[in-house]
Order: sequence, then structure tokens, then C-alpha cells
Amino acid sequence: MADPAVMAGGFSAIVGRSGCGKATSSPAENYQLARRRTLQVVVSSLLTECGFESAEKATVESLTEMIQSYISEVGRCAKAYCEHTARITPTLSDAVVTLNEMGFNVDTLPGYAKRSQRMVITAPPVTNAPVIPKALIAGQKRTHPSHIPSHFPEFPDPHTYIKTPTFREPVSDYQVVREKAASQRRDVERALTRFMAKTGETQSLFKDDVTAFPLIAERPSSIPYLSALLPSELELQTLEETDSSEQDDQTDSENTPVNNLNDDPGADKENSVLLAGGVVPSVKVSEENMIDNPYLRPVKKPKVRRKK
Amino acid sequence: MSTDTPLYLTGKQCRIYRVRVNDLEAPFIYNDPTLEVCHHESKQRNLNYFSSAYTAAVSAVDPDAGHGELVIKVPSELWKQGDEMNVLKVYIEFSLDQPKGGLHFVVPDVEGSMAERGAHVFSFGYQNSTRFWFPCVDSYSELCTWKLEFTVDASMVAVSCGDLVETVYTHDMRKKTFHYVLPIPTAASNISLSVGPFEILVDPYMHEVTHFCLPQLLPLLKHSMSYLHEIFEFYEEILTCRYPYSCFKTVFVDEAYVQVSSYASMSIFSTNLLHSAMIIDQTPLTRQCLAQALAQQFFGCFISRMSWADEWVLKGISGYIYGLYLKKTFGVNQYRHWIKEELDKMVEYELKMGGVLLHPTFGGGKDKDNPTPHLHFSIKHPHTLSWKYYKMFQCKAHLVMRLIENRISMEFMLQVFNKLLSLASTASSQKYQSHMWSQMLVSTHSFLKSISNVSGKDIGPLIKQWVDQSAVVKFFGSFAFNRKRNVLELEIRQDYTSSGTQKYVGPIKVTVQELDGSFNHTLQIEENSLKHDIPCHSKSRRNKKKKIPLMNGEEVDMDLSAMDADSPLLWIRIDPDMSILRKVEFEQADFMWQYQLRYERDVVAQEESILALEKFPTPASRLALTDILEQDQCFYKVRQGACFCLAKIANSMMSTWTGPPAMKSLFTRMFCCKSCPNIVKTNTFISFQSYFLQKTMPVAMAQLRDIQNLCPKDVLNFILDLIKYNDNRKNKFSDNYYRAELIDALTNSLTPAISISNEVRTVDNLNGDVRLILEEITRSLNMEKLLPSYRNTITVSCLRAIRMLQKNGHIPSDPSLFKSYAEYGHFVDVRVAALEAVVDYTRVDRSSVELQWLLNMVQNDPAHYIRHKILSMLGKNPPFTKAAESPLCNEALVDQLWKLMNSGTSHDWRLRCDAVNLYYTLFGLTRPSCLPLPELGLVLNLKEKKAVLNPTIKPEQGLDTTEMTGNTMGVHIPVMGFTSSLDSVVGPLGSSSPEPGQVLQEEDTSKKFKIREDEIDMESPHDSQAFIHHHLNILERPSTPGKEPPAVDQAVLSLPVTPLPSSFGKESTSSSKHSGDHHHHHHHHEHKKKKKKKHKHKHKHKHESKDKERDSHAFSNSPASGRSVRSPSMSD
Repeated sequence: MADPAVMAGGFSAIVGRSGCGKATSSPAENYQLARRRTLQVVVSSLLTECGFESAEKATVESLTEMIQSYISEVGRCAKAYCEHTARITPTLSDAVVTLNEMGFNVDTLPGYAKRSQRMVITAPPVTNAPVIPKALIAGQKRTHPSHIPSHFPEFPDPHTYIKTPTFREPVSDYQVVREKAASQRRDVERALTRFMAKTGETQSLFKDDVTAFPLIAERPSSIPYLSALLPSELELQTLEETDSSEQDDQTDSENTPVNNLNDDPGADKENSVLLAGGVVPSVKVSEENMIDNPYLRPVKKPKVRRKK
Repeated sequence: MSTDTPLYLTGKQCRIYRVRVNDLEAPFIYNDPTLEVCHHESKQRNLNYFSSAYTAAVSAVDPDAGHGELVIKVPSELWKQGDEMNVLKVYIEFSLDQPKGGLHFVVPDVEGSMAERGAHVFSFGYQNSTRFWFPCVDSYSELCTWKLEFTVDASMVAVSCGDLVETVYTHDMRKKTFHYVLPIPTAASNISLSVGPFEILVDPYMHEVTHFCLPQLLPLLKHSMSYLHEIFEFYEEILTCRYPYSCFKTVFVDEAYVQVSSYASMSIFSTNLLHSAMIIDQTPLTRQCLAQALAQQFFGCFISRMSWADEWVLKGISGYIYGLYLKKTFGVNQYRHWIKEELDKMVEYELKMGGVLLHPTFGGGKDKDNPTPHLHFSIKHPHTLSWKYYKMFQCKAHLVMRLIENRISMEFMLQVFNKLLSLASTASSQKYQSHMWSQMLVSTHSFLKSISNVSGKDIGPLIKQWVDQSAVVKFFGSFAFNRKRNVLELEIRQDYTSSGTQKYVGPIKVTVQELDGSFNHTLQIEENSLKHDIPCHSKSRRNKKKKIPLMNGEEVDMDLSAMDADSPLLWIRIDPDMSILRKVEFEQADFMWQYQLRYERDVVAQEESILALEKFPTPASRLALTDILEQDQCFYKVRQGACFCLAKIANSMMSTWTGPPAMKSLFTRMFCCKSCPNIVKTNTFISFQSYFLQKTMPVAMAQLRDIQNLCPKDVLNFILDLIKYNDNRKNKFSDNYYRAELIDALTNSLTPAISISNEVRTVDNLNGDVRLILEEITRSLNMEKLLPSYRNTITVSCLRAIRMLQKNGHIPSDPSLFKSYAEYGHFVDVRVAALEAVVDYTRVDRSSVELQWLLNMVQNDPAHYIRHKILSMLGKNPPFTKAAESPLCNEALVDQLWKLMNSGTSHDWRLRCDAVNLYYTLFGLTRPSCLPLPELGLVLNLKEKKAVLNPTIKPEQGLDTTEMTGNTMGVHIPVMGFTSSLDSVVGPLGSSSPEPGQVLQEEDTSKKFKIREDEIDMESPHDSQAFIHHHLNILERPSTPGKEPPAVDQAVLSLPVTPLPSSFGKESTSSSKHSGDHHHHHHHHEHKKKKKKKHKHKHKHKHESKDKERDSHAFSNSPASGRSVRSPSMSD
């Protein structure tokens, strides 16, 4: 189990590792690493005390872990006992009770402490106690009412005991809102147009730097008036009217008769009403009967004698 | 009708296969002298020569005078019948192959059937242009009833004039035939057709009215047409006459020739007039177009004109009742503003170009009798007019109608119209008495007679001054106040010597606003009296605080501290009602103008004072303008005008200006948030007045300049912020016009870049402000690709801005961007804006490449409007003028333009006149200076030739011909021979005829028609050389086989009179002609692919021609028809 070769540099190796392992760690981590290192020294000295010449790294680590757990448990329990008796700081008696509870004979402790071969362990290096991160302050804390002495703890955040708003209060400053909306829109537009310009063909205003102000290349359309006259989708969205759905219906019904017509020229009479009317289907049937417009009338079938 | 006269029909670009008269084959000649105006002539390049030749060519086929391109000889068997006034039924079999004018095909290049692609066709033209698509008597004075049949693909709808009687499938059920009957006598020129996969909307208010639009646009159509019934009601009410036709159709087509064109019972509009409910700016424009179209239905279509000289009556009446509609719908302010605008426009044109003559009378046909010698074109025919002139003509016509109204009162005016209409509708129902139909034609004479009958007033002087005479009046006014006599001494001078002006003698109204009220005085302008004494009513008494009564009875408090203590005069107006076609330059003190602006309630007065205040950059003017800007009750267009004036004043007052830049605080107060004044309110556009002001103010502000002559930084940032914070999310209206104007504002803020000359413009040396501007423009233009705005207004503004950046030297000047936007396939507004930039580039950079590119587009672009627009823009912003030297001005260009107007534009009258205009702008009337001088001898020769040969070659010949035609039998020269040779009875004429051979030949060998036509085409009736030429040609003919190339003849014939070069010219033209013809054939084959469509049209034409002719030549015994076969001059 013991490995002298390792043993010799054991401490330094561990210390060295932990020392430079994470140079960029936070103060809290540093603090904990320092404690842990002290524990390791303790374990090692205990082992030496017991007569071990060397120990495997893993063993030391396991023992450290065990001792840490043990101490933590003692602390936790002591704290619990103290809180149980409505205090906030544990006393000696709390610790004694705890140790007893954990099956440790406290009476043996002074003897053990005074043993002759014990090794003196240097105090853990002074590191700053970790700063407790500030709790998120939400809302204004209430001050104590006059009947509560000032040394009493502060009231907690109102959201913990009065109400907890589920949304953030919107920034009500009109100017900021407008500013934000404007720059957001601008950013979106800029990103979008840049993207389009990057991915597609462009035209440029400068000869020296064609990427300076890229213009999305124009593309001739075969039916230019459609996009120029019809409202864009964005504009349609803003219109809360149901125009758009109506429009879809109409174009649909408009297309159908044309298809019918090509497929089935000998359509029956009702169908021919559609053919003549084009868009008539969108007009209510009752209305259709009322309106006598020659363009809505059915297309007649050819008379046999008419043509030669 | 005398039997021996041939029938003249007009028809252009048709391929005529056969003509039968009463089932007998009839020989015919087809000769269109306007195809090529000047022949075998390579050196003559002066516009005078061209104009007279062109006028002669148009006269030679003028249907009003009974001429035409197609001359049919009535077979001799029918002569007797003709004597007995029997019916002649003319049957013409023809086809129209790839017509370049008259009909326009729009066939989008996408997948799918014709219907899915939205392919459509419509007829178009300037004035009487129906002959471009079928042979007819293309005159507004030849009325007949119509039966029209159109066989089209089953997916298409054919919309034409008259009532749709029935729609019948063809036997294979693939096509439909639309049967139309138009029982109201109508001139062929008012017939139109439009075929396409239209969506159909029956007007919800008037079921007789049907609207047609291209696929997918139905929602727009519904919205745009929701208003039409009110226009109908308005006209029917004021005219106390029902709409004359039993139905009305509106068709909205792409690539329209003009925005609005009216035909009998239907109107064809540009599809770009359609708009959704979100669009503000287009709404009034579209309604105005509808109102114009409808006004022309009454006067123009139903009531037609007797002759071209009477055109002004129809244009005048339709324009006048349209004005009444404007007044009723858009208010008196808008109406008066419009009248002022039209008057100013017209006056400006007349002063610049010389007068516009409404009612030209042509005397002896001599050059010196030309009523408008100042113009570079003849006004004898509508087809020789410049487009701009014609617009001003229409403008003047309705203004003159308004003058007549002023004279005889509106009530009488409407009674006259009602009388005209009721006479016409009585006549139109006389199916059996076609001679009654002349009641449906209006002439200047009959119109004036009605006026005097109805009103009992003599408006002779007025007509003489404004109708029979061109030009306008130019007044200069000034005054002095004589305190002793308490008299206003007014001096009114006239300028009647400079071009476009005339002398005015008669009453003039002067309104004087005094402290005690407003007083009208009528002064007599007489020969030699310049000074007029006007007694004042009020003593000067500025100390008494009392309200001052205005013209409209309102009483207002005024701060009188500004005015002259001695004078009771607040302001003076000369001819306030615009009852003279005039320009007034009046001098009064600045405070008077300021009072006039603030307190005169007439918008015209306000606008005049705004214009005058530009010359008085004082704090008081500034205050007056600012006050007007803030006044809600003030007419919005006045406030818009005040914005620009304020900007100008601010620039003049630059050194003494205090406070923030002009209008900035005003804008902030009106349109920005109370809490954060740098941010504009979110758009609502609820108040349209504010909307228009909001649009205008930034544009005007951007014209401000600081001491370095730059746009102040404040202003630029302000505009950039307006763009940045523009928020339209909650708006039910589109903000596209507003955003476009903000871009315009950026454009206005640009000033020339400071840089070393010849430095290459690079991104790095871009000025910081310009960089910001450019960024906005780039982003807006790119966004347009993703979310296009209505009518792409923003793209249009961006293109203009980019051109401005180039012009000011901020970015490299380069036309390639504009050229790509100008290509076919972009929205028309975008194309025009891009073309405008190219035109500008051409001028600034003197680029012959671009000029060539533009001219190529003029020749090849599918859209007629674009071709027209290019030429007119080139005319407005010419690359060079006759006054200046330019490297662009070279012989090749002269030749190219000459060719363009001589033969390249024969399919479109308007385009040809545009080309003539451009030629005039570039080179002037005489021979272009850039042409190499011909050898000295020739110069003299040329001069001499002009003097000597004039009687034979030149316009006189043409004019003479016409005159003779009027008096005798309607013959023009080549035909004269024809006529006489046919009829031995008419000896006197026959003796002068050198062409008997021609006719005989034609009768014998009908197979040769086509090739013969081609040759005849080249002969112009006014060219005596060609005439003799031809004659000899004919003599030679019998020995030559039918299809010989004509070059042989020419070789023989070139010797007589023609100088050698000319004969070469002729030869080349004739050969090119033939090759052209060949080409034509070729085309035909090539386009067999498009057979379906082609075929359809052929069919249609056949039907139509058959029916038309059947009807039109049936005589009064047939109930459905009846017409006099001859034109009025003939039937007389």
C-alpha cells in the first residue's frame, strides 16, 4: 500500500498542484482550496503519526474527504442544535451534544489532544473569507417600525413575504421605449439587408470598395405592378380588417373556374356561370340573382346552324 | 355621293388580303405616306422641311377631310346603284401582324397559360388612332352604329364598346365569342377593345357599370371603385341628363399609354391607379382620373366633334365639368388652387413657347397664313402637335370655358350643355335618319350659337380674344396713394410685344382691401390709358380700434402697426377671379403682402403673397409665414407653399436669423412628443392636412443653408432622427409617401462635395454626414426589395438621392445602377426615375454611350409610355442645345434622330412628335450646325432650290391639295390620277392625270397588290418628283413581272428631275423597305409559336371587319345601322 517513492514528494505534489492548478479561480474557491489543503496536511500528519511512511494519493484524498464530511456533519448538527434552542451561534454544549450524538466520546478528546507525538500543523494560509454574493434585491426593503429595535435583523425583500410580481415592471419611460424600438428595428433591418446583400448579388456605388454600401441587386419581375400595388404582408398585418382573408378567397375562387374551363370545356350551365363571371362566386348567390349584368350571364353553347 | 369617287378608308399597318364591295372584288391601293415622311433625301436635315412634309403627309390621309390610306375603287357595276343611293357593303379581309401601334400586348414572361400569366391586350392611341388596328373611317365626325364580335380564348374576357349581347362558345368550346352592339352612333375613333383574363366586378351601386382589372388586384379594384357612383350622380345632376350609354365599363391595364382614355361606354385606365384603403396620396388622384374619364364620356365620346378645330369645345366642356366636380368634392380652395395652377402652367408655356391657339382657322393654305408661325410643328392636325402643346391646349380650353361661365353664369352654361346633350340623345335615337346624327357632333359654331340662344349674351369678343387668337396677357401693376385726394392711383401696363403675349382691352376687376372693408372696382383697360384713379372709401384711421371687414363679410382684428400711417390701403389685387388669361406682376409693399397672406381668405391671394414674400426676407415676413404655418384653418397647400418660402427667406436672412433653424420648433411642437421633443409621435395620419404638412416640412427644412452654404447639422440630424424614430405600427395608413419624402429631404440637404477636382471618389474620403445619409439610403433601398412600398415610392426617392450624391461629387458618377433599374420589368415609376437619372447623367457627363442607350430604348422598349417619357425627359433636360457646342452633337446623331422621326415612329403619333420636339431642342429649326457644310455650290443651290422648288416640292403642294379636296371631290395627288382614269366622265381631272396605267394594272393583276403597295408607300402625295417618277414607273410596269425588285425602275427613272444623291437615297430606302418587309414575314413565321394568341386576334379582326363593314355601309333601310359613306365635306 505504501509507496515510498510517492511519499517523499507527496505533499509538495499535492500542494503544488492545488497551488497552481487554477490560477484564475475566484476568491471563494481559493478559500476552500486553502482549507482543503490544510485538511490534507492533517491527514498526512495523522498517517505519519500512525507510522505510515507513504500513502497513495487516492487514499489521502479519500481520507481527506472523510474527515471533511465528518467535520461538516459536526458543524451542521451543532448548528441545528443551536437553532433548535432558538439561538443563532452554536455553543460548546451544542458541539458536545453533537459529538456524542455521532458516537464520539468527548471525554477522550482532551487526552488525545495532549498526546506527545502529535505534530503541529501550521494554520491555514490567510485567505479572505469568501464574500457572500449579494442577494438580488428586488424592491425596497422595509425599515423597522418604531417598536422593533434597530439591532434586529432587517426585513427581507418584500417579494419574499408580501408579493412576488411575475413580470418585470416595464420601463415606463416613453423616450427609452421609443429609442429602443427604433434601434431594434434599425438593427434588424440592417442585419437583414446585410445578410441579403452578403448572400445574394449586389450592386455597388463605389468602385474601390464594393462592399462598402452594398445594394441588393434589383431583379426585374415579370409582373412588376403586383408587388408595387398590393399591400405588403407587413402592411396587411397592421390592418386588422379581414381584407386579406377575403382576398385569398377571391383569388382562389377566381382560379378555379379558369382551371375548370381548360379541363372541361363542356361544363354544365352552373359552371359556365362561373366561367363568365370570373369572380362572381364571391358575390352572394342571392345578390347574383338580383344583378343582371351581361358579364355575369352564362356563356351560351354554340348553335349548330350559326357557323358554317 | 357621286359614283366615281373611290372610297377612302383609313388603316395602318394592316395586311389587307381582299376587298369586296357588294360581293364584287374591288381593287384598292394602300398607301401610308406617314410611314416615311421624307423620301430619297439624305441631306436635308432641317426641321422646317420635315414639319411641312409631315403635315402634308398627315393631311393626305386625313380622315376628317375624307382621305385615307386605303383607297378602294368601287366596281363599275355598282355605279348605277350608287346613284340611286343604294347600300354599298364593303368587305375587307385583313390581318394585323405584330402591330407596333394601336394595340398593345402585355405578355408577362412567366410560366403558365396566357390567362395565368395575366397576358392582355388593349387598344390605345393619341386622338383618332383606331385605324391602327382596323380599317375604318377614322374620324370623330363619321358616326355609325356598331356590331362587334370578338372571339377570344375561353379564359379571356373581351371588353369593348356597347352592350354585351351574348357570349357564345365556339364549336370546340375552347374559345368564346363576345357579341357587342352599340346602337348609339359612334365614331370609329371612339371604339376600343381590351382583352385579358380580367377579374370582373359589378359595381355594387350601379349594376350597369362593370369594372375589370388584372388578376389578383380585385381587392384594390373594389376599394378604388367604391366611389365612382358619386361621380356619376354628380354629373347626371348638374347636366340634368342621364349617362348616355346603357352601360359603362372601366378596364385597368398594365403599361397603359396614358392614365385615362375614354371611349364610347368604356374607359381604359392604367392599373397603377388602383390602390388600397391604406394609401392616402393616390386616392384623390385616382378619383380625379375617374372623374375626368366620366366627363369625357359625355363630351368627347357621346358628343363628338365636327372637326379638329372644334376639339377645344369638347376638351373645354369636359375639363370644365370636371372642375365643377373638383369644386364639389375637394372644396372651393382646391378648385381655386387648381385653376391658378393650370393658369400659371399655361401662361408659363405660352410665354416660353409662344401662344396656344384653340380654334385654328386655315385660310389659303399658304405658309404665311400659318396661324402659329412661332411653333416648330403644325397645329393643323392633332397628330402633328407636340404632346406638351396638346396638354396646354386642354388646359386652356377648360380655362376659357370658365371665362365663358364668368360671362354668362353657370346656370346658362349648364343649360347649354344640357341642350347639347338632349339634342344629341334625340338624334342618337333616330335610327332611320342618319342625317340627324350631325346633332351629335359639336362645332365651335354650334356651341357658340347655343350659348347665344340660351343666354342671349354676346360672347364674341371673348371668343375672339381667347379662342380665335393665341397668347396670353401680361400685366405689370404698381400704385401710389394720393393722400390729398384720398385716391389710389393704379398703373397697369401691359407687355404685348414679347412672344406669347397679346394686348388686352376691356374690363378688369381690381379688389382693394381698405380699413373700412373690401371694395371691388371694375376698370376699363383701354388703348392708351395706363393710370386709373380709384377713390378710397376710408380715411386713414389706424388709431381707432375697430374690426376690419373682409371680402367674405368676416370681421377681423388686425395689428395695424406695420402699415403706412397715411394710407388706408391694406392690399390690392388685380383680377382676383382670374377672369383673364394673364400673368400679373404687381408691386406693393411687403407689409401689404403680409396682410394679404394673413387675412385674405382666398387661397389664390395667399399663394400669390407667398410668392411675393420671397423677395422680402424680413422678420415680419418670417412671422407672417410662421403664423400661416400654424393656422389649422388655412388650406394645406398654402401652408406647404409657406414652408418652402420660409426656407428661402431663412437662407436670405442667414446672418440675422435668430433661434433654431426655421420650422424646427414648429415641427417639434406639432408632430413630436410632448415629453421628448426629439422624438416624433408615432404615425396616425388622422388629419390629412397635418399629414401633408408633416411630409412637406422636412423637405423644406432641408433646403436651409448655413454660412458655409451647407445644410445645418441640426437640421440633418433632425431629419435623420425623423427617419430613425418613424413608427407606423399603429397606423391604418401606409407611410410610404412620408418615408419617401424624408428621403427627398435627405436629398435636398446635399451640397456639393469639397474636394480637389478629378479626385476619385472613394469610400474613405466620404464626408461623415454624407456617410450617414448614404447609409439611410442604402438601407431604405435594400428594404424595398424585401418589403416593397406602394408604387415603390421609396425606391424612386432613393434613386433620385443617389443621383444627387453622384452629381454633387460625393460618390463616383456612374449610370450603371440606374440603367439596371430602368430595364423593362421594373415598376414604371421606378423606371422613369432611373431614366431621369440616366438622362441627367447624359447631360452632365456628355456621354454618347448613354445617349445611344436611351435612344435604343426609345426604339425598342415594349412600353409606349416609357418611350414617350424618355424623349420628353431628353427634351426637358437635353444633353445639349442648339445654342451650345457639344461633342455629342454629330452627324450620326442627327441622322439617327432624323430617321427616328422620319420613319422610326410611324406607329405612334405621340412618339413622333416627341422626337420632333427633341430634334428641335437639340438642333433648332435649321440645318444642324454639326453637319458638314455641303460644298459651296451646293449651299447656294440648296438655298436656291428652296426658293425655286418650294412651289413644287414643299408644303404648299400638300396644302393646296387639301384645299382642292375640300372644294371638289376629295382627291389628292396620286389618287387624282387614279380617280380620273377610272372615270372618263371626269375629263378635266383626268387630263392632268399621268397615271392611268397604275389603275389598269391593279385591276388586271390583283395578285401583285402587296408588292405594289410597298412601292406606293414610298410615294408621298406631296412630292412631285416622286409623282412623276411613279408615273413613269407605272408606264414601265406592264413589261415587268409582278415581283421584280423596284430598283430596276428607279435606275431607269432617276434621271428626270431627281438629283443623283436623292435617287440613291431612294434606292436605299426602298431596298431597306423591302428588307424590312422581308423581316416582317420572317417574324410572322417565327411567331407562329404564339399562334394561339395570334390566331385569336386574326379571327377577331375578321369578324369585326366583316360586321363593321356590314353595318357601317348598310344604309338607312337597315334599322341597326346606316351612315353616310362620305365624310361631311363629301356628303355636302
